[in-house]
Amino acid sequence: MARRAKEPSTKSEESAESVSARALRPTLDLAEQVYDQLAHGEIPRMRLPLRTKQNIAFQMREGVWKLGRALGTRSARKKDGALMLLRTFYLVDFIGEMARAGKTSTLRELYYISEGWEEGKFHSEDESNLLIEDLEVLCTRLREDFRLHPEENGASVIGDLTLRERNRKGIAKKINCRDDVGDGGYALPFNVEREKIELLSTGAKFIIAIECGGMVDRLAENGFDEQHDALLVHLKGQPARSTRRFLKRLNEEMKLPVVVFTDGDPWSFRIFASVAYGAIKTAHLSQYLATPSAEFLGVTPSDIENYDLPSDKLSDVDIRALQAELTDPRFQTAEWRAEIELMLKNGKKAEQQSLAKYGLNYVTEKYLPEKLTEMGIL
Amino acid sequence: MAERPTVAQQLAAKQREISVAEFFERNRQILGFDNPLRALLTTVKEGVDNALDACEEAGILPEISVEIAREGTERLRVAVDDNGPGILRRQIPNVFARLLYGSRFHANRQSRGQQGIGISAAVLYAALTTARPARIVSKVAEEEAAQVVELLIDTQRNLPRVISEDLLLWDRPHGTRVELLLKAKYQRGRQSPFEYLKDTAIVNPHARIVLVEPDGTRVTWERAAPTAPPIPKEVLPHPYGLELGELASRLKATARPTVAEVLAREFAGVTPRALREVLGRAGLSGKEKPDSIHGELLETLLEALRTVPLLPPSAESLSPIGPLLIKRGLRNVLGEIRPDFFAPPVSRPPKVRGGFPFLVEVGLVYGGELPPDQPVQLLRFANRVPLLFQQGACAVTNAVANLDWRRYGLEQKGGSGLPSGPCLILVHVASTKIPFTSEAKEAIAEDPEIDKEITLALQAAARHLRLHLSRRSRREQASEKFDVILRILPRLAEKTSALVGKPVPDLTPVITRIMDVVYVNPSVVAAAKGGSTTTVRVEIVNYTPRARVLELFLEMPPAAFPPDPVSRSPDGSEPELGRMWWTLPKLLPSARAEIALTFPRSSEIDADEVDFYEAGVDEAHLLGADPLPGDWEVRVPRAVIEAAEEAAAAAPPGEETEVDYDGAKSEGALDEE
Repeated sequence: MARRAKEPSTKSEESAESVSARALRPTLDLAEQVYDQLAHGEIPRMRLPLRTKQNIAFQMREGVWKLGRALGTRSARKKDGALMLLRTFYLVDFIGEMARAGKTSTLRELYYISEGWEEGKFHSEDESNLLIEDLEVLCTRLREDFRLHPEENGASVIGDLTLRERNRKGIAKKINCRDDVGDGGYALPFNVEREKIELLSTGAKFIIAIECGGMVDRLAENGFDEQHDALLVHLKGQPARSTRRFLKRLNEEMKLPVVVFTDGDPWSFRIFASVAYGAIKTAHLSQYLATPSAEFLGVTPSDIENYDLPSDKLSDVDIRALQAELTDPRFQTAEWRAEIELMLKNGKKAEQQSLAKYGLNYVTEKYLPEKLTEMGIL
Repeated sequence: MAERPTVAQQLAAKQREISVAEFFERNRQILGFDNPLRALLTTVKEGVDNALDACEEAGILPEISVEIAREGTERLRVAVDDNGPGILRRQIPNVFARLLYGSRFHANRQSRGQQGIGISAAVLYAALTTARPARIVSKVAEEEAAQVVELLIDTQRNLPRVISEDLLLWDRPHGTRVELLLKAKYQRGRQSPFEYLKDTAIVNPHARIVLVEPDGTRVTWERAAPTAPPIPKEVLPHPYGLELGELASRLKATARPTVAEVLAREFAGVTPRALREVLGRAGLSGKEKPDSIHGELLETLLEALRTVPLLPPSAESLSPIGPLLIKRGLRNVLGEIRPDFFAPPVSRPPKVRGGFPFLVEVGLVYGGELPPDQPVQLLRFANRVPLLFQQGACAVTNAVANLDWRRYGLEQKGGSGLPSGPCLILVHVASTKIPFTSEAKEAIAEDPEIDKEITLALQAAARHLRLHLSRRSRREQASEKFDVILRILPRLAEKTSALVGKPVPDLTPVITRIMDVVYVNPSVVAAAKGGSTTTVRVEIVNYTPRARVLELFLEMPPAAFPPDPVSRSPDGSEPELGRMWWTLPKLLPSARAEIALTFPRSSEIDADEVDFYEAGVDEAHLLGADPLPGDWEVRVPRAVIEAAEEAAAAAPPGEETEVDYDGAKSEGALDEE
């Protein structure tokens, strides 16, 4: 749906204002539609694809889960719907203003900007984020086209990857993510598109995307990246769009396989799903953000048993999350069902770092080599 | 051996009469003097109960003042003043300094104090803890001057000891003042004199009560009702509650010549026909001398009295507070916490248990500054006396806890136990004989008859609460819609008009589509202070997309009927049911009509007491009123019915079946960045 990244070349020739104006074209149509409805005595309403678990569908061609065809109606009959319609037009105004002034805004700033929108004021940042995603869907654009971006999130990359980043001042810098950075690695900016980051070369054979910072440090300290020619990417819990987009670019442009290494709990399965299959809330962007070939390395429920890892009891919330996953279309493979059911049966979850039970080198010398060999990566 | 006394003789030497006073001196906790806090409360309570009873018997509107002053460490001077009839000089010592002396024990009617222990026990406690006599000042209307008597109790002989007496020229025509110095402690809070007087003020709105606290703070509960409750009539004892000993002593003490006469004249409910049957069953002719009945014969007679159907005991001996005064009392005392809702109080008809009539009354208050997340406040009263202790052991508490309040809109874990919510429940049990769990009269004992009545009264009040809450939630839904049409829609129109560069369209058709209800909006305009009227204004707005012909029905307490003036003369009314109705002129979409009713202020009408019903529109399209109930038997004009049918036929086929985008929640919330 979103076209922006596919036509980066048109960008430089246009003024910022006209880019925004073009991006917002569909909102004008919406205004027209709402106006006509009001003038004809009809209750204003618009239709949008539902971004729910029930409305994602697997796209064979791209190998990702995308939005399905089910539409929901946003109607002014109810207060929530009426407010969201009203806010849409406040937001359109605000984007226009930013374009004229050559500014951009963080998502959080937008939330505070809405203080001046009287009735339209957002009550939580969730509301403003949802509306921006709605606008992305409506206009088939990315939020950056609306001059809106998240705060820098700084997910980091460690390993032999050379790229060229154009910094805030417009200066292009060549960076090797192992030799030119400190212990923290290379911090990803929110924008990882081609005009910002050019991928040059790599000596890595695969990417290992890791949930927790502690585990990234362990692998780096043990020299795992150099020993096995791996690129370490820190997911920082649920990965930001930029992290997922960056993984996808590495996968596609550098032909690097991606494995995902997380805790062994129901939430980590969702982290993997958003990397590999696409997230439900951003299903309209799945073809940009999802890496269908990514594989789940562990910790799997079977690993907890096979490696006899120290574990915690599943909480009620964990159990509900697992049961929800059983009805999640993205987990409807025999392997996933078996693992989820195994976890429910054993009632156990474990952290990545529980591997330290067998010593600090165990994860790099035994666990990962075994698993990676099994997966055919090593 | 003869010199050695036997064990029995030794014991006999130690056996002697224990005076009642001595007994209570050693067991003062029984009467509620076990600690300084409690002792103060009991003293205030006994003084105030006596004062209220005295005023009531004399038909005087009570003016009661309680002054508590610090005097040395741990010592308080308590003075209770009333404007009652006063006490004759010769009775003063016995009333205040002799235990078990009273006028009400033998009277078969509802009163606060009964046994005549209370105030004397306070006098006794004061003497025990400070060795100071009680000072009584009392003046009867016939005397020029007041008597001042200082008293102690001779605990050996249970007799008063007058320490001094004097005369005083008093500034009031009649009344009594009791002054005691006792070891006691003052604080506010639960189970305090403050709480006790506040609760007393609620159920005695005819009294004016003043409390002066030790720090000089003066609290006044003003009189909220202009007349005293009717004096309960004294009635003859009813045989259903009779004990064998009581029957024996009645028969012995009587001056009447025959058994038949005693039964017919000295007991209630014994009709001539019942008398014949009782005598028949007991094998008596009726001509026997009363004092000749004893032993087995006495038992047979009592059994006959208990089994033969008699007239039920009369309820004239009871003094209910009544719905109007319960409401006034609650309003007067709780007004400052601004409750949202005073449920119409429930006053159950009298019932009988054993030989004693009783009745139950319930008041319920909701919202305002009552704490929303705490257990409800339960105010228990027995014969208008607040019960502050032993809440857990009381039949009233159990009845409240056994009701499933979740059905009525309060939170209650598992459907039993005290419910939680911003709610206060008042329960008053009145009876000529209340079954207390103990002599301290702190809790009402379990009794199936009483329990049933309390439950019925609670349910009736709870139904009003449920109605109030459901109306409130409908109003809240409506207020969301009003937000849409009044605040959001106009801005949406402005914004889109500006974007497309066209004039702002007329929003009326959209507004009526969104609302799609006939809105009945009542408001009570209380007259300004000092004004003499209250106006109930009803606004009817047709927020539906089609024209409506409507019939509006009003139901008010019949006592408040008729309002005068009424801004539009009704098309029908039924005064004895408090009902009136109007056929409104045809209302186009967005059009409104208004009716105003004016009531005299004395009717104390509330928005909650006027019910609104509407014909000519179905329930789904009606807000702020209910459809006319089927049992009204009112003929709705043909025009109204026809217009309603037309509207129903023209209505679009119900709500759209589309998925509400903003209502569909993603379960994958955690999947997101």
